[in-house]
Amino acid sequence: MKWWLYIALKQLFPTGRVVSFFAAVSVLGVALGVLGLFGTQSVMNGFHEQIGEKLRDTTGDIIIRQNGRAMFALDQLIADLKKTEGVKVVEKVARGPVMMLVNNVPTFPVLRSYDTVAGESAIPIAEKNFVKLGRIENLDDDTIIVGQRLAFNAGIGVGDTVEIVSPTMLDKIKKDEVPMPVRLEVVGLLSTDYSEVDSNIALVSLRRMRELYGLGKGTHALVLRTGKDVDCTKLAREIQANFLRYPMRASTWLTSNEAFLRVIKMEKVMMSLIIVLIILVASFSICISLYTSVLRKTREIGLTGAMGARPWQIAATYCFQGFLIGVFGALAGLGLTWLVLTFREPIVQLVVGRESLIEFYHFAHLPVKYELSDALWASGFSIVLCTLAGLLPAIRAARLKASEAMRNE
Amino acid sequence: MNDFDDTILRAENIAKKFRSPDGGTIEVLRGANLSVRRGESVSLRGESGAGKTTFLNIVAGLESPTSGEIFWDGKRIDNLSNAKQAKLRSDFMGFVFQNYCLVPELNALENVCLASRIAGKFDSAAKARAAELLEKVGLKSRIKHLPSQMSGGEKQRVAVARAIVNSPRIILADEPTGNLDESTANEVMDMFLNLCTECGTALLLITHNPDFAKRTARSVVMSRGEIAGV
Repeated sequence: MKWWLYIALKQLFPTGRVVSFFAAVSVLGVALGVLGLFGTQSVMNGFHEQIGEKLRDTTGDIIIRQNGRAMFALDQLIADLKKTEGVKVVEKVARGPVMMLVNNVPTFPVLRSYDTVAGESAIPIAEKNFVKLGRIENLDDDTIIVGQRLAFNAGIGVGDTVEIVSPTMLDKIKKDEVPMPVRLEVVGLLSTDYSEVDSNIALVSLRRMRELYGLGKGTHALVLRTGKDVDCTKLAREIQANFLRYPMRASTWLTSNEAFLRVIKMEKVMMSLIIVLIILVASFSICISLYTSVLRKTREIGLTGAMGARPWQIAATYCFQGFLIGVFGALAGLGLTWLVLTFREPIVQLVVGRESLIEFYHFAHLPVKYELSDALWASGFSIVLCTLAGLLPAIRAARLKASEAMRNE
Repeated sequence: MNDFDDTILRAENIAKKFRSPDGGTIEVLRGANLSVRRGESVSLRGESGAGKTTFLNIVAGLESPTSGEIFWDGKRIDNLSNAKQAKLRSDFMGFVFQNYCLVPELNALENVCLASRIAGKFDSAAKARAAELLEKVGLKSRIKHLPSQMSGGEKQRVAVARAIVNSPRIILADEPTGNLDESTANEVMDMFLNLCTECGTALLLITHNPDFAKRTARSVVMSRGEIAGV
């Protein structure tokens, strides 16, 4: 081993001790910085992926609408879409807000239809077991499946009866008719683990929804489920070009939620930028400590010069210390990130509470997704910064003249 | 072989001027001459500020003379590049200073081996020689001790072992016993001179102590930047 590497290692890990105080504190500082940076990025990745997955799971992959108006005579279009490569399910969907009365207390959920006749949906209700305390097959024209948090907030459970009043019933009032609310029995709870859906949505049969909204044979939208590896944006463009005429438009779950997804990405960048400051502060501390070390060791540096050490070798001693602190700090930081994020649930519970997570981020559990590029970026950034932190003391040490250093008081 | 052929280090008309803070110049050395033969021990005495340490630094290549020439084995070395001078020092010279200058993170053995590492000569044989030298200077039981666990005399013994571990052809010692009490200084100096004799290493010793000076083969005095033989 080169002597300057040896001295650098010995100054960080002196003989007789596992690690020097300076090395331990510096490595910890860098590790905390990497934890902050990589941890934040992993959580934000998790949010992005989870929100994306939930949005896809709860809205469908491609949605065909007609300026918000009902669409009719869709049999040929549905047949064509079903033949299109990449399309797995085409579902007629009607949805809209209603007033739901529970013991005469109103709430205002959005009803979404489920085609009980076709028995399949563009959203993976059965596959992902979204219905709790019941089954989707139990849904018929006289029943309803209510979002879990919606049910909790309204104080209803499976077996209870709710009354639904739809906006189209206003027409009846205008005609001096008395609108009668529709009574539906709760046969299950919808639990997608995405609170935006679980606290706002209830499922009814397509036939019931058409009746509530006076749609006849019409629907509000066609929702498509595609294969997992299908490029939705490309497929939506093809569908638009081949089958749809204005005012019908095909959009994807990505375009429908573009602004929201962009905000999450931007949030990741902003948080990373702020946390980068932690690593900067750590590197300044390392720089100051190494500089102090150079001042303290002036005579020793002079002696190594007298014994034949070259200035670049003396400089390398201090640069390498910075580099080593960066490497050990990055490794410790990655390990710490894994540890903290593995046991994140109790930490989240302790720090912000699970309810806050659900309230602000719509998730019951803190999602995490590790990405190699983030780990490399956080580690590389720390290592480069720490090496640079060693540069200033290194230059100072290399510039010391042995004869003057030996005279240092 | 005549005396001249036997000379390993020769300084001719060495002058050194420093710029003083008030803008003037301080003439520290004024044409100092000295030669050291193979295996010879030479002591250099003089008042404080006479220029002894500056002279030693110049012959070691740690400082450049304002004028004059330094020869090593008959070859001029004061005009060599810093890298070549550094190589010369690591290969042929050993240093002992008043302030031991041990690396605090290394134990006694590692401190001695550091000189071999810097010279690029570190191997198991060098390590064994370092251990042997520490045994010779009476520190067999202190090999694994850190400088902070040793007395001043013990530290200086480690510094002596370090200076000699690469079998240099000359040791340049600047008041090696300056920080030690009389009894310890005597012990260290005995050991130091014996080791130099045993290894056939030349010695240029700066000392204020006339008794130590008497124990070297030749003693010279530096006064007002010039060297006079005694």
